[in-house]
Amino acid sequence: MSTDLFRVVYCSRNSVPAAQGDPQAEVARILATSRANNARDGVTGALLYSNGCFAQVLEGKLAAVQRTFERIQRDPRHRDVIMLEATHIQVQLFGAWDMALAEHAEPAKAMAILSRVLATPNDDAGATVVSLLDNLVRHEGDWAMAAA
Amino acid sequence: MDSDQTCLTAFEDTIFSPTRECSHRDTLTQAVLDHGTTMGVMGLDADMRVVLCNRLATEMLGVTAPHLWRSVCVEQLLAASTRLDTVGRLAFKAALHPASAGQHSGMVGDGDGRTEITLSDGRWLHMNVGRTGGGYHFATLTVEVAGGVPAERIDGLTGLSDRQWMHERLAALLAAPDRAEQVAVLLIDLDRFKAVNDSLGHPVGDALLQMVAQRLGSAVRDGDVVSRIGGDEFAVVMPASAAPETLGERLVDLLSRPYLVEGHVAIIGASIGIAVGPRDGTDTAALVRAADLALYQAKEGGRRTVRVFNHEMDTRARARHALQDDLRRALALHQFEVHYQPQTNLASRSLVGFEALVRWRHPERGLIPPDRFIPLAEEIGLIVGIGEWVLRTACLDAASWPHHLAVAVNVSTKQLTDVNRLPRAVAAALSASGLDARRLELEITESALVQHEKEALQILHALRAMGVRVSMDDFGTGYSSLSQLRSFPFDKLKIDRSFVQDLSNSDEAVAVIRAIAALGASLGMTTTAEGVETEAQEAMVRLDGCTDMQGYLVSRPVPAGDVVGLIERLAADQSIRLEEAT
Repeated sequence: MSTDLFRVVYCSRNSVPAAQGDPQAEVARILATSRANNARDGVTGALLYSNGCFAQVLEGKLAAVQRTFERIQRDPRHRDVIMLEATHIQVQLFGAWDMALAEHAEPAKAMAILSRVLATPNDDAGATVVSLLDNLVRHEGDWAMAAA
Repeated sequence: MDSDQTCLTAFEDTIFSPTRECSHRDTLTQAVLDHGTTMGVMGLDADMRVVLCNRLATEMLGVTAPHLWRSVCVEQLLAASTRLDTVGRLAFKAALHPASAGQHSGMVGDGDGRTEITLSDGRWLHMNVGRTGGGYHFATLTVEVAGGVPAERIDGLTGLSDRQWMHERLAALLAAPDRAEQVAVLLIDLDRFKAVNDSLGHPVGDALLQMVAQRLGSAVRDGDVVSRIGGDEFAVVMPASAAPETLGERLVDLLSRPYLVEGHVAIIGASIGIAVGPRDGTDTAALVRAADLALYQAKEGGRRTVRVFNHEMDTRARARHALQDDLRRALALHQFEVHYQPQTNLASRSLVGFEALVRWRHPERGLIPPDRFIPLAEEIGLIVGIGEWVLRTACLDAASWPHHLAVAVNVSTKQLTDVNRLPRAVAAALSASGLDARRLELEITESALVQHEKEALQILHALRAMGVRVSMDDFGTGYSSLSQLRSFPFDKLKIDRSFVQDLSNSDEAVAVIRAIAALGASLGMTTTAEGVETEAQEAMVRLDGCTDMQGYLVSRPVPAGDVVGLIERLAADQSIRLEEAT
């Protein structure tokens, strides 16, 4: 049975020239805007920034996900958008996060996975990225709980 | 001020000239003007007295107390306007005086009695002035709604302005008194939109067009005019000083990004042509044509690109048009010829058949090779007719050859769209010539199969049922998908000439030819190496496992009349070789 819940997974490249700003600061700004918008629209998800590439998961009601995705598409701060997955889902995997930032303990590994996905996006790419983000976000949660 | 006093005599709820009787007819006219039109209307006599004015006109001008007057000079009406500033009043008067038109800033006119005036609230008042003789003239007025476009010029689906509005704005800008400001027009054509519309349905297509419109709107500057000028065509009119090419590149990128629409992912592209007026065209038609030529080049240049008009495009377009005209006449004037290139068996070097190749003998340009006119013929819809003529001619010619020789005829992509036409044409050609169907071979390219897979397969099966053989042409250059080889049992694979040419200096070419030959052998297909020009190449393709070859080494394509002589020569050559070998 199909639900009204929908998920998109995409990758893109940062198009802000390094000279025009610190990418990490830019990511922080993107995250802040996206959290505010998503909280309002009931959209959840996760964002990873690694080596000039973004990977993002968006989940929520179809109409809200479409609106959010379209808003992101019009953003000139990224380019070469590749859609990895767009599908109806039963549950929101990242339901607890307006937009989790997937920080990675092993940057080289995340970077390798992302570059591979961007170079040759295949049918499994969506699942690969979702599981990468899921792992990273979970570890972050564990870490946060351990620290608390 | 006597004249002003006379002006202030007769103005009731409506304005009539005091010199005329207020007849029933006048009352009717006034009622029609007040209630029967969505435009402001104003009539004036030779002395610039307002003799007719409807309620909407006074509302548009912001004249709040028309009942103060019984008749009025246009100056007084304008003086009472709360919507016109000094510049606007001068512009309004100037529009009524063509002699002084174009001298006031704040106003643009296209020289055809049309003027636009900025109102104090930032909206535009459009004036159209016409004359009826005897010094009488009239003005029709419309005001743009918020967003700058009058309601009747808005495209219902996307909310953008329409084609006519784009033309009007362009005309107004080109006719602007200050020609220093150049105007750029960007014509935007979506690539692949039709395919998305066909596969996902019209509602999704419509939603996609709305998203395209929003992306366009998000990227342009305030004041740029964005219009939907056709099904999947858009335009932006902007100042040439604001880097139109940069915007064009940004738009190509933006519009080519994936869309999520009604739960589907849609990927389309955009091609853009740019022209700048008055440099590339001093009127709307010329400027749009220039942008259109640039757009055409953008689409030719692989799509998802931006091209700026240059005059060479114009020259080329004219040459193309001339060639198109000639091409349209060529079939009727019997200017086409079929030439034949032999195909030989690599093991025995015996002749197995000929490929029919069309040539165009142009009265002035001489013999034109197919790559110069076939794409053009495909584009202007002549290819089906030409293809069928070649088919008929080749069958007739082949019927006179020795019975063991086959003839191969190329089939265009365009011939694979109509499931009935090609099988009928083949049946007719066979029966008219008396050629055995098994001696006819049709060559289709991989891309033709990809583009119209369903129809193409149906056609190929129909041909196969008639006994005609089918080969895949230029194998290795396109998709080379094995699933295509599985989708239809081809009789022959023709290996593209590029691999044969690279044989001596590329191990990859050797590997590719070997793999195709092995593939063909295991699937029970003949493999023909094309473009064999040297003995060394012949030896290599034989070693690599190809069964047949075609190329200059054996012979160039020859006219039909030389085929019999060629058959005799090749037979003689073969017997010499056989003797040498023994």
